[in-house]
Amino acid sequence: MKNTKSTVLFALRCGVVAASLVLSVAHADDYTEVSQMVRAGKLAEALAKADQYLSSHPKDAQMRFLKGVILRESGKTPEAIASFVRLTEDYPELPEPYNNLAVLYAAQGQYDKARTALEMSIRTNPSYSTAHENLGDVYAKLASQAYNKALQLDSSNPAVGPKLSLIRELFNPTGKGQRPSPLPAPASVAAAPTKAPMTLPAPADKTAQTPTKPASASAPVAPASAAASAAPAASATATAAKPAPASPAAAEGSAATKEVEAAVRNWAVAWAAKDVKTYLSAYGEDFVPAGSMSRSAWEEERRKRITGKASISVKLENLQTTVDGNKATAKFRQDYRANELSVSSHKTLELVKSADRWHIVKESVGR
Amino acid sequence: MSGALFFRGLAVLACVLAAQTVLAPAGAWAKTSRVKHVAPPPVAVPESDGVAEARLIEVYRLIGQGKGRDALDKATQLVEDLPNFQLAQLVYGDLLNARTRQVRTLGDVPADLAQEGSATLAALREESQRRIRALRERPAAGTIPSQFLALSPRIRHAIAVDASRSRLYLFENSAAGLNLVADYYISLGKAGTAKSAEGDQRTPLGVYHITSNLDPKTLKEFYGSGALPINYPNILDTRRGKTGGGIWLHGAPPNQFARPPLATDGCVVLANPDLEHIIRTVEIQSTPVVIAPQLEWVERQSIRAQGRPFEDVLHAWRNAKTSGDLNQILAFYTPDFTSNGKTLQQWTSTLKAELSKLQGRTIQLKDVSYLRWTDAADTMVVTFGEVADGTSTGWSKRQYWMRDGNQWKIFFEGTL
Repeated sequence: MKNTKSTVLFALRCGVVAASLVLSVAHADDYTEVSQMVRAGKLAEALAKADQYLSSHPKDAQMRFLKGVILRESGKTPEAIASFVRLTEDYPELPEPYNNLAVLYAAQGQYDKARTALEMSIRTNPSYSTAHENLGDVYAKLASQAYNKALQLDSSNPAVGPKLSLIRELFNPTGKGQRPSPLPAPASVAAAPTKAPMTLPAPADKTAQTPTKPASASAPVAPASAAASAAPAASATATAAKPAPASPAAAEGSAATKEVEAAVRNWAVAWAAKDVKTYLSAYGEDFVPAGSMSRSAWEEERRKRITGKASISVKLENLQTTVDGNKATAKFRQDYRANELSVSSHKTLELVKSADRWHIVKESVGR
Repeated sequence: MSGALFFRGLAVLACVLAAQTVLAPAGAWAKTSRVKHVAPPPVAVPESDGVAEARLIEVYRLIGQGKGRDALDKATQLVEDLPNFQLAQLVYGDLLNARTRQVRTLGDVPADLAQEGSATLAALREESQRRIRALRERPAAGTIPSQFLALSPRIRHAIAVDASRSRLYLFENSAAGLNLVADYYISLGKAGTAKSAEGDQRTPLGVYHITSNLDPKTLKEFYGSGALPINYPNILDTRRGKTGGGIWLHGAPPNQFARPPLATDGCVVLANPDLEHIIRTVEIQSTPVVIAPQLEWVERQSIRAQGRPFEDVLHAWRNAKTSGDLNQILAFYTPDFTSNGKTLQQWTSTLKAELSKLQGRTIQLKDVSYLRWTDAADTMVVTFGEVADGTSTGWSKRQYWMRDGNQWKIFFEGTL
């Protein structure tokens, strides 16, 4: 267990760069613009832009999340807390709002609340490494406080609280699905988690000896493949069954291209129709599921995720395929929604033709 | 999700505690199961007696079973309800740390804290061990401390303290005999027991009685929710030249739910809910308090037989007094007898006056109680009502007897 855990964490951290590339949503430009304003310190501008966007897209999880970040950066802690609280209410599947709520609570010294929020974050996504790290720091801080109370030592000189990692953007605004550690690239992380000096064992000790993180137990995920499965984890409705118009590039393709496109569309249709059997049969034998997950475990998870949705909608746009012999790559923008959640992301499917059929052998989010 | 997880980080602590708790006889957890119904709503219900410990032990049990997550949840509630319960905080800290690292022992605190708070840490570990031991090594059903040879049914309650276990046992008394109804963790003197001198920070050993119930409003908050003074130094103590006073059963200060096993200046200190229960229960003047280094538990049935020889002596004294023969009576008294400052010679005139009032009527002893205290000497603390036939009232008397070879003699007698 120990090894699994640290391996997963390590893998997740390595996967960060890849993860940061895959974030792309319907209105990616708006998000990017706001994010860049935040990074540049133009908080008022960013807030105005976010508010403007939200006036026409009031439910947009990503922008609401960004706004929460802006409020936090602007020192408007109560407003930031309120906005993340509302996000957790509207999108209880998303781990990031819980995480950021915890960051804000911890900054106020409310470690019990921070702990609760992080535990919720992990409950929604057991493999969410940032939340795990934050929670580890919060546990350590709470333990330190408990020990000080137990030993009745003077707490007038409290150890400096841990600086928890803030998440800058929703990795996958649809919630469900494994995801790698969201965007801990330097720019996107407020501060590296600092250990409270009194509380933590040596860092090596921490990583080496954390044997029981839920992550390793319940959902070990390697980042790259986690990204791959992130999108499908979201949801799709039957309306999505109407395939989006193929992109011009794809339209003028060869017969092989048309076969690939058809395979991809059938995959999306089956998904949206919650036809799990057909959906799963779109994946070839060589398809490697996320992380150390077995194929059967992955299938089981997909089945649960898909059949668990009331309705799923999947739309494919800008489908571009390249065919090279019996191998093909399909890139497209995938819009899906379930309930009130909706997300767009770029997706790449790699397919292989065998026995006269194109099968998916690799699925990844991003271009 | 979390339910399935196992606290690997607690494995060692679990072993430490399991060795002490899980092997306990099922009966030891009776309180725990009772508490299960009480504990879950972390509402601000006034804590009843014993509940905090039962909740702590439940946490231990979950740790022993490898249910670290459940243990953490219970511990979280416990420290939320009782933030001043230091031992609970210590275990809570361990359970939190066990989420991210190995916990090697109870109170696996960082080195700097361990150094700064080393004495407190050691005391908390000792407290934990004593609580566990008292719950694990329960007195057998139907047994009572050997001191309680005879208790009049009019004495409704009795208290016995086992210093070795840091435990106070509360009994209910009836015609059927004593029945253990509750027991609590307690703190005793910093320097231990066997108080002999003022300021020696020791808790006295012996047979005492609760003398009063002090109004908590008149007490400093240090004494918690109340205080029940006992009659240290008693007659035997005074005879032995012991000094000091102000030994109370009292509560805990606001910043400490419980105090370490050896922490007081000689008083017996309980958690406030436990003390409050005792205050509500016991009777001033009549409730005996036995404080022993280690209680010896004997069958309730056989204890009467153990008291028989002394009971015969007591009746012989009564018969002598009924006979009115002064010399026969005085043969029951030690040469160094005292009665509230009077020597035997001075007191003899009191005795004579009593005998003349009796005018040969038979004396009856009512509501007889006798508690045996044996250390270097073998003594008996006797309480009874002395009523002459044909009269409706008499004296409530207390005598202290001491055995010299086969002879029991009275070295104190006084009215209550």
